[in-house]
Amino acid sequence: MRDNLKQQIERLKAQNATYVDVRWYPYEETNYLLMWNGNLKSTVAAKESGIGVRVLYQGAWGFSASSDLSNLSAVFDKAFENAKAAAERVTFPVRLAEKDSIVARFDSPVLSNPFDISLEEKVSFLRDLDAKLNQTNVFQRQSDLNFVRKQIIFLDSEGSEIEKNIQEVFSSIAVTGLDEEGNMHDRKFILPRQGSSRGWESIDRDLFNENADRIVKELNQMLKADQCPKDDRSVILLPGIMYLQTHETIGHALELDRILGYELAYAGGSFVTLDDFGTLRYGSEKLTARADATLINSPGSFGFDDDGVEAQNNLLIDKGILVGAITGRQMVEEANAKAKREIFSGSSGANRATAFYRVPIERMTNINIDPGSDGTLEDIIKNTEKGIVLDGDRSWSIGSNREQFHFGTEMGWLVEDGEITDVVKNPTYRGSTVKFWNSLTAVGDESTWRVHFVDNCGKGQPNQIMQLGHGIPVCRFDNVRIGE
Amino acid sequence: MKEKILQTLQDLRQYALSKNYEVTLSYHEEDSYLMRFANSAISLNTNEHLIRLEITAYQDKKRASYELITDLNKLDEMKAGIDTAADMVQYAQPLNYQPTIPIYEASYEDDSAFDINLAEMSSEDKLEFINQAVDGLETDKIKLSGIFSSGANTFALINTRSPHTLYFKSSDAQITLVLAHETLKWEVTAEQSAWNKSNLEAENLHNELAYLIDRYENDQPQQLPLGTYDVVFGPAATAEMISFMNWIAFDGGLMKRGFSFMKEEQIGEKTLSTQFTLSDDAAHLDTFPFKRDLMGLERDKTQLFKEGVFKGFIWSQDDADEFNQIATGHTVPHKSLVVEPGNMEINIIQELASKPRDKDILYVPFLHYMNIVNPSKGIVTGSSRFGALLLKKDGSIIVPYNVRLTHSLLDIFGDKIAWLSNERVAYNVSNSYGARNPTAIIVPKFMKVNDLEISHSNDSY
Ligand SMILES: [Zn+2]
Repeated sequence: MRDNLKQQIERLKAQNATYVDVRWYPYEETNYLLMWNGNLKSTVAAKESGIGVRVLYQGAWGFSASSDLSNLSAVFDKAFENAKAAAERVTFPVRLAEKDSIVARFDSPVLSNPFDISLEEKVSFLRDLDAKLNQTNVFQRQSDLNFVRKQIIFLDSEGSEIEKNIQEVFSSIAVTGLDEEGNMHDRKFILPRQGSSRGWESIDRDLFNENADRIVKELNQMLKADQCPKDDRSVILLPGIMYLQTHETIGHALELDRILGYELAYAGGSFVTLDDFGTLRYGSEKLTARADATLINSPGSFGFDDDGVEAQNNLLIDKGILVGAITGRQMVEEANAKAKREIFSGSSGANRATAFYRVPIERMTNINIDPGSDGTLEDIIKNTEKGIVLDGDRSWSIGSNREQFHFGTEMGWLVEDGEITDVVKNPTYRGSTVKFWNSLTAVGDESTWRVHFVDNCGKGQPNQIMQLGHGIPVCRFDNVRIGE
Repeated sequence: MKEKILQTLQDLRQYALSKNYEVTLSYHEEDSYLMRFANSAISLNTNEHLIRLEITAYQDKKRASYELITDLNKLDEMKAGIDTAADMVQYAQPLNYQPTIPIYEASYEDDSAFDINLAEMSSEDKLEFINQAVDGLETDKIKLSGIFSSGANTFALINTRSPHTLYFKSSDAQITLVLAHETLKWEVTAEQSAWNKSNLEAENLHNELAYLIDRYENDQPQQLPLGTYDVVFGPAATAEMISFMNWIAFDGGLMKRGFSFMKEEQIGEKTLSTQFTLSDDAAHLDTFPFKRDLMGLERDKTQLFKEGVFKGFIWSQDDADEFNQIATGHTVPHKSLVVEPGNMEINIIQELASKPRDKDILYVPFLHYMNIVNPSKGIVTGSSRFGALLLKKDGSIIVPYNVRLTHSLLDIFGDKIAWLSNERVAYNVSNSYGARNPTAIIVPKFMKVNDLEISHSNDSY
């Protein structure tokens, strides 16, 4: 098969295609189980295989994908035809940043393969958890397991040949309850990164049991709590919401395709301009953010991106100053040309496709915030006069250029004079991105840092759902409007 | 092709029967084309031809599914998939209710919303359509973004309870054009949804874009003061809010799970404006309808709200099974939601702008990135985007920076509704996540809602 694919690439090159690549998925398998109030609502396994072909011709992209591998020529020809049609409307001919041609292999670190674990054992895990969650005042309880494994063979016309064997593990539990007025409240636990491998060994029963008890207890506190006040105060974001803040107002805002206007038809643009790189004070000096695709054990770590560029660890924001972006090969060339200076020295290795039938676009890897020197969560609370500790994502809405946002969280704990006083329900906060990050006044130490996994980031047309990670510490921001 | 699909399903059914399995089989085929524009160029021209087979095996109260992306030549792979599902179901846990397997009493076919000319429209024709729609509107600074998404969608179903089949085929197009200023960052849009090629009209799109560009080029932008405004929503904004209702208002299963702002005791009560009537009506081809649901039930028109009165919840088969209700024909990939028109003769933006008014009107064509703040109260939030206008009472027009609205749907569709347009449009809300599932909601062209507060006002676009 590889030889046949190489021949097809050579055939299109001989017909004057500028660049050709193919991603062949011999298989992608998923296994998803959902337990809801004691009912095993979903017991699903899925399998797909196919190829996606990308052709660059006279500065324009064509793509075609098929699960039918009996006629490879037809898929390659269709991609080429699509590129030729696209070449009828070109304004900035696509150029690809230089890269090394690589022959390599990447394997996700796995000790115990989840696909070797029996369905019985998985069901028993969920059944036990469901029983554990079935406590006083729990109206709805959910637990799920989601495993993915895929093999991807990447070949391109520049001589790269990369094999990736990717494994993913996602799991979460959630409870909801109704308060006196019948309003719903929820609390959840999403399995964060555990150690350095991502197999069945991540599914630690003790960890889930401990967190099941915690979320039920917190839900019960919330059901009796007062409404979140509407005022201005410091917000102390725990990882369960800090990940979302980072995701929406750093991650998406720094995707170079958005900055260059490639998402205006759908997801939106970015307030960031090319002039901002190297100068914009994005946040306070306490803010250092990076895109780290080399972090071991995360869905944002994949060895090589779908341009065939090796995973990297790059600074995005250095002590508050904007220095980098999330990029693939195409966008860095266009950005440098449009800025008339070399902002980017090459691709940052973040061009990713979600399936064989989708085209790669700039995607987050692990968008992380470095831990700081403001101590533990307890230290930060102790040093806060009037604040609120927030955790859990409940709703998120953000302006199309990522300039202003409104986030609802699951739970809030008011802080007065360095101490937690009351739990409040329906906490929300809002702000403007740059002003908000510049009000960052405390960054927790290593003890507060977690890697939170995201399995549902949507972008692009046709839409692609991507998996990634966020390594984040507890952070405090001052003068934030809450309760709206 | 239809014959081959149905024959394959029959063969697979025979295979399942020979092994004494109880299964349902759902075949989905998409032929998807998407031409995407950015920076006035075609940034991507793509097509995907994908065939998905979903096999669900049942064993008394147990159920398990196996899904594969395959092709019709791989009968052995599909049979192996049936074996896998049948194997999995042994280890599933029984549900605490009996899941229904439908018995199709006769075969049913519907391709009334299929137009081969649209499904197979060439790249050249699409590009020509787009070029007409933006003719003369692009400049060095004003750049075109957008999509021309089109394709064909086929569903076919069978199960071991009967040899009859369901077969649905439709074609669809979703066109979104955005003209955005490269440095000032304003953006205006015009969109169209169609199930057949002859419905495509580049001229309407051109007129709307030309008008909005003229405003945005010539009127001063302004950060709006916070406060209360009379708001006119365009079809995109109204359709987006209706799709949130589809989620958290009248879905019986979600109501039972606490994820709804309507309660059982409100059935028969007036909860929204008397001007508001919402139905699920598969008679509208513009909605790419399913005239039968996947259980084989006929999908008669269902009234959800009639003149503000809540008519009741809808029940998919699985929810009906779980909560002891009668399924209402809503086990479908998407519904056909239709809002009744009003009587205001304002149907294009120019008419709205030129109509004398005694108060300022904020025109919000589009709500970006809406989300649910509180499902129990129906509170949603979203930002204006794509060509908002402040129509001053003195007749002048200001182009506002984007604003955020955070409100309960009970409020927005409640007594604050001032009027609805007397003409309607099908607004395409397809999201292209996963499998192709073209969806459109029919809404009045404009809906005026008085006294809505804006909770945040941007100081730039
Ligand atoms: Zn995202």
